[in-house]
Order: sequence, then structure tokens, then C-alpha cells
Amino acid sequence: MSIYIQSASQISFQQPLCEKWLDEPILPIQSFNQPMEPDYKQFIAPAESRRMGKLLKRAVATALDTLAKGGCEMPDAIISGTGLGCVENTEKFLNAVIDNEEECLPPTPFMQSTHNTISSQISLKLQCHGYNSTYSHRGTSFDSALLDAVMQLQLGRVNTALVGGYDEMTPAYFKMLGKLGYWRDGDVSIDELKKDGIPGAISGGASVSALLGNKNTQNALCQLVDTEIFSCNSVEKLQNKLHSFLNRCQSETAEIDAVMCGLSGDKANDDVYRDLLCKEFPTIPTLWYKHLFGESFCASGYGIYCASHLLNAGKVPDLLIYNGKFEKFVVNNILIINHFQNNDFSLTLLTKCHN
Amino acid sequence: MTDIVITGMGIISALGHGVEATAEALLHHRSGIGKMRFLKTKHADHPAGEVPFSDEQLRDILNISNDFAITRTSLLGRIALKEAAEMATLNEESDARIAFISGTTVGGMEKSEQFYRDFLENDDRNEYIALHDCGACTDMIAKEFAGNISMQTTISTACSSAANAVILGADLLRTNRADIVIAGGTECLSKFHLDGFNTLMILDSEPCKPFDKARKGLNLGEGAAYIVMESRAHAEQRGAKAICQLSGCANRCDAFHQTASSPEGEGAYQAMMAALRDAGLQPADIDYVNAHGTGTPNNDESEGRAMMRVFGNQMPMVSSTKAYTGHPTSAAGGVENVISILTLTRNFVPANLNFTEKIDSLNFTPVTETKTGVQLNHVLTNSFGFGGNDSSCIFSKIK
Repeated sequence: MSIYIQSASQISFQQPLCEKWLDEPILPIQSFNQPMEPDYKQFIAPAESRRMGKLLKRAVATALDTLAKGGCEMPDAIISGTGLGCVENTEKFLNAVIDNEEECLPPTPFMQSTHNTISSQISLKLQCHGYNSTYSHRGTSFDSALLDAVMQLQLGRVNTALVGGYDEMTPAYFKMLGKLGYWRDGDVSIDELKKDGIPGAISGGASVSALLGNKNTQNALCQLVDTEIFSCNSVEKLQNKLHSFLNRCQSETAEIDAVMCGLSGDKANDDVYRDLLCKEFPTIPTLWYKHLFGESFCASGYGIYCASHLLNAGKVPDLLIYNGKFEKFVVNNILIINHFQNNDFSLTLLTKCHN
Repeated sequence: MTDIVITGMGIISALGHGVEATAEALLHHRSGIGKMRFLKTKHADHPAGEVPFSDEQLRDILNISNDFAITRTSLLGRIALKEAAEMATLNEESDARIAFISGTTVGGMEKSEQFYRDFLENDDRNEYIALHDCGACTDMIAKEFAGNISMQTTISTACSSAANAVILGADLLRTNRADIVIAGGTECLSKFHLDGFNTLMILDSEPCKPFDKARKGLNLGEGAAYIVMESRAHAEQRGAKAICQLSGCANRCDAFHQTASSPEGEGAYQAMMAALRDAGLQPADIDYVNAHGTGTPNNDESEGRAMMRVFGNQMPMVSSTKAYTGHPTSAAGGVENVISILTLTRNFVPANLNFTEKIDSLNFTPVTETKTGVQLNHVLTNSFGFGGNDSSCIFSKIK
């Protein structure tokens, strides 16, 4: 059985719900970046929209857009990742608990604060009774959702699964994570982000989804060979994991045309990738995406999204190349590597659709 | 299909620390619900199933010093994980691929709500910022078992989180992505969700009365519980004793309302039916249902109607154990998996406490006196969450 990414869409600080970033990317000018909101009217009625938090609106619109582009009215499963859930509502309720000393609290922010609100709202919107789950595991939240969807397909339980990654960055949370060294100070130009040895990344929210299915539809973007998540604490172990993963995919490092990494500009994050790439893929071009979509707990979703569209478009814009050169302008296999704090890792192999 | 067996379990809840304390309390009608001693809240008049240990006492159990930053959710999780791993004789040198799947929703909120102003205004509590999210909680628990967790992730589907962890675990075994899975959930009481449930007016100001006509709401609880799952072949090969089987499990969505269940319990019905299919069992094969049975007017009627659709006039024995443990939200599925396995292996059915009168629209009453010496072969347990996340697991005696 083969698995295909039948469609994928996004909202970010790039043009929303389209792939204009391929030709007209928007470069960040600061560390704190808010998404560009699409017109929600085509997805959500205004009355309903007023009751929904920003992240929920983005998630529903991204999900519905993905389904429409994949030609799917009702997925068999809805599986989401979210590192922090609906933070805006969580903060609203938390502030009320503190300020009002637990009296006279508004129920709606609480109702919309749980992490599974997003998967639930999508299911409500579609009246979908199928498998429904939510992962909240830091930088591998989306990756966990993707793995679950792949297993549901491999076990033959579903024909299609909608997978998404959704996170929002509020000013307060940005400030808190800033204390932990998450963000860049000052210059966030591409050249500056690529410089070795500087701490901090640029932030972005996440609202990205993909429709997985077991049919090679006419519009399918690419094939997903396999995906894996694992814990690992040394480059040697990581190399072993990589080899056994590619082995299982019946692929070799030599067949990989490009490696898409979660490089963000943050030294603590990037060193692991640099080390691995240098040892395993010294001559293969490295691609990145966090300079265009920002860092967030679900940023890895954009890695899958970008790689799918690159395989479909059959081209790689220069701005996505972190280093290296394409010898031939053929991209058949993209390996996607993601990690969170050098502890939780994921590997995904995407390949061009063979019609 | 891979036969999945359970080789270990660990639990801490309002009923105390450990599998034996839990069994003792259930067999002796001893509820853990009472006045909260440790959560500092204005609403302490609401009874709750609080774990009967302070943070300091939990740290003592684990030998963790007071200056090490860790949340209550993680402390509870570590204690349950430790017991489960010991019972399953998991040793740290083994090269088996061990996956750790934990459910939580509150995560580090209980500390964040105390330190939130510090987070924003000074640097006094920065170490707790990184411990706030759900994944951090799992990560901190996995460290109790350093070295050989081959993968970890966190599920957050509100009150069905731990059940969905078990379902993911089963799939990891079935697709040969892990040799052993430790799955369940952990949650501690917080003002955030106590107040949240209170604003939804679904807390009972007295001990909860699941499936009773006059039920008024739930009592929150807290705790953590994990089970150790592996293929029968793997357990045999490493000489681990199989306690029982996980014969089936399934997850479906009610798709009705963000926080309420549909009147006919569509999601619950579909989850139970799919779990039966997964197990290759008929409704009549189920001997006991450990119901979600929170004690809210909405849940118990909806779940009861779903059970009537599944079982018709042949309703198996049913009880909710929420009146013992309170509702430990994300940990509920874990706690009730352990309880279900206890009933199955020790042949008893715990009483549904505080029941007096049947719900008009239902055709059954729960078990009101603890039954011992009953032969149970298959036990089904339900976990339903906000967002219509409904899941069912079926445990069976070893074939």
C-alpha cells in the first residue's frame, strides 16, 4: 500500500492558503511575526467566526482549504498536533482566574482552551465521526500526528486522513519563551540567520495541514514513503537511526536529492543538523523553511508542506536552499529531518509521484 | 493480528499509591473523595478526589530534592511509571524499543497559575516556563526511566487522553514500531480546570452520584496510571508474565458539541462498536463495563443510551468508579484501565457508589454492591472527552 499527500495548505506570514512563497516569498523583518489572515467568510459564517479564537479560525480555514484542494469532502480521520493548544483563550481564562480571584469567570475561553478544541471543531464542521486525535508534544507534535495518520492508513483502517499542525504565538508567550533564549535579538536577515554560533530563532504561528490518502489522485503532490519519530541523544545513535530508517524505506543516502531540515538560525537547534549533514550528506543540498515560516512547536508541519509542493512543482527556489547546489534539476526524493532540543527526532521520506 | 498482552501497571490516585492500595479501596467501598487539602482554591468546598500526598511527600517517594523544578503532574506520572516498569520487569539495559505515550491536558498549569505573574514580570520562576506545556510533562516523566525510551509522545484529547495513548500504543505494536509500550496518562488538580468546570456548572457540591436520577455533576480527581503493553511473543521471549490481554480498542468522534455529548451518544456508540469489532467480540461477550460515568446529567444519560444501543436488553454488569477516584480527566482512562484489569484478574466488580434511583430513560441500573468471585472474561472501559473524543478499550483474560 502506498501513501500519498493529496493536498497541503497553510496560513503563516506568507500569503495565506496558496504557494506564492515559491515565487514571491515574504522575508521576516523581526523576531515576532504574526500570520497574514485570509478572508474567513468563505469558510466560516461571520456569527460563528466571532465566537472562535484566532487560532481556531486559522485551523478550520486551513483544514477546509486542504480538503477542498484534495477533492475530499469527508476525511476518515482528523489528527492534529498543537504544542500549546489555544493559547489566547488559555491566557484569557488564566488571567481571569488570577484577576477575579476565581469568581465570575467566562466559560467560553475555558471551553476553547483545551488542546483538542481544534480537532473537535474541524470534526464538528464536517460532522466527521471518524478517528479523531490530538498530539501535544513540543517540537514533534505535528510529527506525532503524521505518524498516527500513516499507521491508520497502513493498518487499512482509513482511506484518507487530515493531518494538521496548529499553534499561535501571543505576545505574552513570546515574552516568556524569550526568557528561555528562544528568539533572535536584532537583525533577522537570511544572511544573519545562516551565521553560525548565534542563539535564537524568529517566531511564527503554525497553521498547516495535509491530506493523506492511499490513492494516487490526479492532483496528489507526492508520495510519503514512511515517517518515524524517536528519542535520541547522540549523533552516532542518530546516524544509526537514519540508516535503519532509509533501509526500511529501501532507500540509500545516495538516492536522496535534498535534505529538508528544521534549521532555524538558533545555534542550539542548528548544530545537530550541521553535524549530521556533514557526516551523512556532505554533497547533498540542504533545504530549510523556518526562515519563511518561523519557529513554533508545529513548525515541522511546514517542512512536510514545503517538500510536498517542491516535489509537485519540480523546482526548488534558491531562497529555500540553505547550502549546496543541485547538479541536475531533478528532485525525486526529499528526506525531512526534524528535532526538538536534540532529544525528540523525526524522519520522513517523500518521493515524487510516479504516474 | 498481533496479540497484545499487559505485563505491568502502575497507579496513583485518590485511592492511594499503587495497584494494591487501589484494589483494597475498591473492594472495601472506600472512596477517595473528600475535602481538598493541597490545592489552594476558593472553591475548596467542592469535594474532589485529591491524591492524599503533598508535593513534598511525592518528592520523597521518588527521592527528588526540593530544589529540582518539577510539576505535580510529572511527579504523579513518575510514580505510576516506576511501579508499572517494575511490575513488567523492564530493565534499563535492555535493547528493546520502548515507547512512552502519555496523555495530559493540564500539564504544568498547576504551577503556571501560581507563577504566571512571575513568568511575565521577573525571573524568579523561569525554570517553570519550560515545564508548562504537555510535552514537557511527558519528557520529565520519561527521565525517570533514563536511557532506553526509544520514542515518546503526548496525547491531549482532554478526558480520553490516556485511553487514546493506549490506542496509539496498540498501533505502534501492530505496525512493529515498538517492542514495548508504556501508555496511560497523568493529571493533577489545578484551579484552572476546577474553575473551568465550575463555570460550566458541571461540578457537584457533594460526592458525585454516577447514573443516579438525581446526579448533579462530577467531582474532579487527579492521578496517573500507565500500563505496559507488548506482543505476546515478545513477553514470552523475555520471560515477562502476561497479566491479561488488550483485545481491542477504538477511537471515534461524537461531532456534536465542544463540551456536551449527543443525546443518543453517537460517538460513544461508535467507539464501543468499533472496539468490539477490533477485538472480534460480540456485545454479549462483555461481562462488565467500567463506564466513563462522570455523574454529570449529560454524560451519564448519553453514555447509558449508547450502551443500550450496543447491548440492547442484555446489559452486562455496569459501574462507574468515579465516585471512588473523582474524575482525573486526562488520567481517567489510565486509572480506569488499571481498575478494569484488576476487576478482570481478581474477578470482582466494584460497586457504583452513591446510587439510589435509576435514570428514567435507561433500561439498566449499575452494580450497587461490590461483587466478588464473579467470572469475568472480557471487560470494556469507556473514556470520553470534551470535543467528542470518545474511546473504548477491551481487556480480556489470557486465552
